[in-house]
Amino acid sequence: MINIYKVSFKNLLRKRTRTVLTIFGIALSAWVLASLLGFNKGYEASLSRDIDNMGFQVLLTAKGCPYEAATLMLKGGTGMRYMSEDVVRQVAAEPEVDGVTPMLMQAIFDPNKGESGGIAAYLGVDPVTFPRMKSFLEFRQGRWFTDPDAMEAVLGYEAAELEQREAGDILLIPEKDIELKVVGVLKRTGTQDDGTIFMPIRTVQTLFNKPGELTGLGIKVRQDADIVAFEEKLYGLPDVQVVSLAQVKQTIMNLVTTARIMVFSIAVIAVLIAMVGVINTILMSVFERYQEIGILKSIGAMPWDIFKLIWIETFILCFLGGLVGTAITFGLSKLTEVLIRNLLPYAPTGSLIQLDARLVIMTLFSIMLIGVISGMYPAWKAARIRPLDAIRSEVA
Amino acid sequence: MKTIRILIACLTLLAFAHPSAHAAVGCDLNDPDRDVARLFPGSTGYKTMYVSIDKKGGDALARQIENRLGDKFQGIFETADVPYTIYEIYKNTDKIGYIHGVNQKGRHGGIQVFLVLDMDGVIRSFYFQKLTSRAAGALRDPGFGKQFEGLTLADFYNYDVASKKTLPPGRVDAIKNPSPDAADDFYASLRATKKNLILMDEFMYGNKYMKYFKGDAP
Repeated sequence: MINIYKVSFKNLLRKRTRTVLTIFGIALSAWVLASLLGFNKGYEASLSRDIDNMGFQVLLTAKGCPYEAATLMLKGGTGMRYMSEDVVRQVAAEPEVDGVTPMLMQAIFDPNKGESGGIAAYLGVDPVTFPRMKSFLEFRQGRWFTDPDAMEAVLGYEAAELEQREAGDILLIPEKDIELKVVGVLKRTGTQDDGTIFMPIRTVQTLFNKPGELTGLGIKVRQDADIVAFEEKLYGLPDVQVVSLAQVKQTIMNLVTTARIMVFSIAVIAVLIAMVGVINTILMSVFERYQEIGILKSIGAMPWDIFKLIWIETFILCFLGGLVGTAITFGLSKLTEVLIRNLLPYAPTGSLIQLDARLVIMTLFSIMLIGVISGMYPAWKAARIRPLDAIRSEVA
Repeated sequence: MKTIRILIACLTLLAFAHPSAHAAVGCDLNDPDRDVARLFPGSTGYKTMYVSIDKKGGDALARQIENRLGDKFQGIFETADVPYTIYEIYKNTDKIGYIHGVNQKGRHGGIQVFLVLDMDGVIRSFYFQKLTSRAAGALRDPGFGKQFEGLTLADFYNYDVASKKTLPPGRVDAIKNPSPDAADDFYASLRATKKNLILMDEFMYGNKYMKYFKGDAP
């Protein structure tokens, strides 16, 4: 025996092109909705991972000291400020601290870079604590330096590519006319480490005549520590500035949230357009079947039966549209991600769109809820048709 | 602006996107607007093109270029996926030449050799954009670069990169090493020049200099 669901489905098949186009419209809305929800989740996760990959959550620098190579370049290698190495002992003694790694950045002017010269920067790092803190760094070739006084260098992938250096090669520090042996080339990380030339910190201190001085101290905080309270405590140290990567993350997320509100508004508009499309399709279908519905009622169908019939048609359209839309979301997630990555001014590494079963269920639920609401008016309209008026009419 | 960009991203989900940007690093002019005007006096504009051996002809082309160069690609950075940036130079609407650079391994660091070429593949100018060398001053002296002017790939075919000799002697012999300390980097710059000319012959000149190649036919 044929049931009401089969009748609804067969009704939709009577105008296949219109049904397919409506499903496609709903699918596009579902795609936009699912991609946005997935982007929301993926972006935050990737950003957190990038910040965790820095190995430390707090960076302590001398007050007024540029703490990134890029800033150093912009300032032409000037403006370096130094902290005493004593700060390592003081900070390491704090109960919130899981580990510390001292750093000393130095820059020289290389007259043979470009037409009018350029800056070359070197980051002195501790051979024991730095590799431990940045355990995610992998080597394309070679290894870390083991001797804190070694005349050796480890190059980030892009620094090595620019200098065309491999493990075993010699690297010249131009202004100092000093040769270093390249002992390692790192794999790409997508971070500023890719463009960095690492040297043992004591070697940098000796070569640049900065004994006992640092430009930065990376601090890894214990997971259960109150990072905000700890940062406040660090501000008590004389002549230091605290760069909190937790704050950096929060700032980026605030900016992304503002953008996201705008994007969600567009998603709502897309969903509303799909909703109007569904109402239009079902209403047209009701008007076309005006006499037919009249006959159904004259042979005993109750208004609720007609309401259910039309409502189920809407439900089927939205369910199929939602399914196709989520399938498109999964199928084209890589393409969507590449596109978003190319357009975003800053995108963290890793997957920007994270899709999972919960997200699929949420998207399907939202689309079907829209279907249920959209179907009410056409179904109510159909349920109110008076049999005799309908049979007498000339609509068909 | 950020919002608009994200908006565009979401509204144009069907558009085609560029491949991932994790390719090898190429060799670009540091300041193209200024450098093109300086290296190609009389030019009024330029267009930038990106070509790689990978996309142009894959492994077969890489082998052909090695064959023409007389040397294997070296190390982990001289690979087929290096994106080469070619600057097409214009005077009003007429194309009048090219500027193209290559990375070359030197003794102490990376060397970037740029050639300014006319439409026949003749070197108009030679430029070290980056050079890490103890003899950098001597090699970057304008007098050294002048020695390359007027040469073509036909001249460089006689220069054997592996043995560092020119057989039979030719115009490349006239290029003198400016400093005994710079021997490695001097030969590296000759290799870079030959490679640069071969790449340009493959990419832009339709292999017009292939007829001068006396090695095994590719």
